[in-house]
Amino acid sequence: MSAPVYSDHATERARPRLTLQLLGIVALSTLVLLLLIATLGNLIPPYLTSTETLQPPSQRHWLGTNDIGQSVMTGLLRAAPVTIGLALATAALALLIGITMAGLAVMFPKVGRVIVLHLTDMAEIVPSILLLLLLSAWHQPGVIEIIPLMALLTWHDDVRILRSVLLREMGRENITLTRHMGARWPYLLLHHILPAILPTLTGLYLQNVVQATMRVAGLAFLGLTAADLLTWGSMLQDAMGYLHTPAWTWLLLPPAFCLTGFLLLLMALDQQQARRSSHRQGSAP
Amino acid sequence: MSGHISPTARQEAGAAAAPAGVALTLLRSLVHRIAVFGFLLVLMSVLPRLLPGDTLDVLMDSDVQRELADDDLHALRDRLGFGGSLAEQVGRDLLRLLRGDLGYSLLHGAPVRRLLAEALPWTGLLIAAATPVFLGLGIMLGVEAGRQPGSRADRVLTAGMSLLASIPPFVTAIALLLVFAILCPVLPAGGAEPLFPAATPWLRAFEIARHAVLPALALALHEVVRYFFVLRGEAAVLSHRAFVVNARSRGISGWRERRDYFSRNLLPVICARLGQSVATLFTASLFVEVIFAYPGIGSLTYQAVLDRDYALLQGAIAVLAALVLSLNWLFDALTETLARRG
Repeated sequence: MSAPVYSDHATERARPRLTLQLLGIVALSTLVLLLLIATLGNLIPPYLTSTETLQPPSQRHWLGTNDIGQSVMTGLLRAAPVTIGLALATAALALLIGITMAGLAVMFPKVGRVIVLHLTDMAEIVPSILLLLLLSAWHQPGVIEIIPLMALLTWHDDVRILRSVLLREMGRENITLTRHMGARWPYLLLHHILPAILPTLTGLYLQNVVQATMRVAGLAFLGLTAADLLTWGSMLQDAMGYLHTPAWTWLLLPPAFCLTGFLLLLMALDQQQARRSSHRQGSAP
Repeated sequence: MSGHISPTARQEAGAAAAPAGVALTLLRSLVHRIAVFGFLLVLMSVLPRLLPGDTLDVLMDSDVQRELADDDLHALRDRLGFGGSLAEQVGRDLLRLLRGDLGYSLLHGAPVRRLLAEALPWTGLLIAAATPVFLGLGIMLGVEAGRQPGSRADRVLTAGMSLLASIPPFVTAIALLLVFAILCPVLPAGGAEPLFPAATPWLRAFEIARHAVLPALALALHEVVRYFFVLRGEAAVLSHRAFVVNARSRGISGWRERRDYFSRNLLPVICARLGQSVATLFTASLFVEVIFAYPGIGSLTYQAVLDRDYALLQGAIAVLAALVLSLNWLFDALTETLARRG
C-alpha cells in the first residue's frame, strides 16, 4: 500500500506528492468500505429471533442458532462492521488526540510541554478498568459513547513517541532550510513533516487498533456495553452460558475465531510495517 | 546510594545530582497519583447521583412493594444518607471515605469493609501464584529468543508468542476453562473452595490450590506475552553490547551467560514493567475471576456494577485505586533507583 513512501529515499522530491496520493487512497478506501458496509447491511438477512433455538449447524443455518433462535452466521456478519468500525474509529480518535497533544507540547515548549506531560503522566496511571466499571454502572455505553471513552483512555500511549518524532523531524536541516526560504508551517507540515512521520503514525495506528479491539471486546464480553450493540465480544458473552452444553462449539468458537483472526491480521500488518520502517531507518545513517 | 563512592568524576556528579532528582520525580508522580485518586473519588461519588433513582428505590423495588407515605420515605432517605443536595451528598461521601469508613452494602447486608477484606486475599492469592509463573517464563523465553536475534529459537518463540498475543486474554481463559474443567474435568470449573471445605488444614490447602490452578494460569498466560516481547527486545539490544560479545568470545555460554549477563541486566526493565503491570494484573484478574466465578475483588466489583450496588462499588473502587496507585508508585520509585544505579 505504502511501499513508495519507504523506498524512494533517493527521489526525495517525489515524497510529498506520494503522501498526498496515499492520504487520498486511504480516504477513498474508507469511503468505499463505508458504502460497502451500508449496502451489505441491506444484503445480510435480518437478525431475527425464531423458534429454532440452539440448533446445531445445518444447511439452513450454517453456523447454527443461539438461545433465542438467531442465526450465528448472520450475527457474525452483522457484528463484523460494528466491531471493526469501532476499533478503527477509536484508534483514529486516540491518535488524533495524541498527535494534537504532542503538537501542542512541541509548539509551546514551555507551558504546553509541562501541561501535556503532566496530563500524559496522569492519564497513564488512571486505572482504566475502574473508570470503565464506574461509567458503565452509571450508563452502558453505545457506539457513540464507546469511541470517545476508549480514545480518552488510550491516547496517552502515543504522546511521548509522537513528541520525540516531531522534535526530531523539526530539528532536521530540510525544515530549517525551507523555513529560511519562507515556507509556512502548513506547507512544512504537509510536505516535510507528515511524510517523515507517516511510518510512525501507521505503526501507532495499527497498535491502537489492536488495543481498541481488545478493550472493546473485553467490555462487551463483560456485558457492560449497550444491550443492543452486537459485537463479536457480546456474542462471546452470550455463549458463556452454554459452556456446559454441546452448543459452545457453534456459539463460542466462531466469534472467538473472528476476533483472533482480525487481531492476527492487524499484528501481521504491524510487524510488516515495523520491518519496512526499520529497513528505511537502517538505510538512512 | 548517596554513600556510594564513585570512581570517576562524571559518576560523582551524577551521584550528587541523583538524590535530588529522584526525590523530585517521585514527589511529582506522587502528586499526580493523588490528583488521579481525588478525581476518581469525586467521579464515583457524583456519577451515580446523576441517575434518576437511588439505592432506596432499588431496595423498595426489589422488596415487597410497601405503601409508604412521602414523609416516611423522606425520613428513610435521610437516615440512609441519601438526603440533601448533590454537593452535600458528595462532600459527605468523601469525608466518610477519608475517615476510612467505606459504608454499608445494603444488598449484601454487610459492611463494605468486611466484604472487601474477604475478597482481597483471594485476588492476592491468584496474583501471587501467577507472578512467579509469568516472570519466570517471560524472562526465560525472552532471554532465549533475544540472546540470538533471528535464530531458529527466536523465530519459533516469537511466532508462538505472536499467536498467543492475538488471542484476547479472556478467550484464553475461556479456553482453559473449557478444556481442563469441562471437556476433561481434571480441575474444578469455578469457585475458590468446595462448597463444604475439608476439615483438616492440609486437605483444605490442597483444595484451595487445586481451585487456583486454572485462574492463576490464565492470569499468567495473559502477562507472559507482554513480558516476552519487552524482554526479548531488551535482550536483543544486550546481545550486541560489547560486554556480552566479549564474554562470549571468552567462552562464557549456557546458563551463566543467560543468568549473569542477560537476566541481571534486565532487572530495571522488569521492575519498570511490574509498575505498569499492577493495573493490568487487576484488570486481567477481573476477567479471570468473572470467568472462573472466583470470589475475589474483581468479581465482587463486577457484581456490584451489575447490581448497581453503589456503596460496594465506591468502596471497591476507592480501595483498588489506592492499592493500584500506591503499588505502581512503589515500583516506579524502585525503577528510578535501579536506573540511576546504572
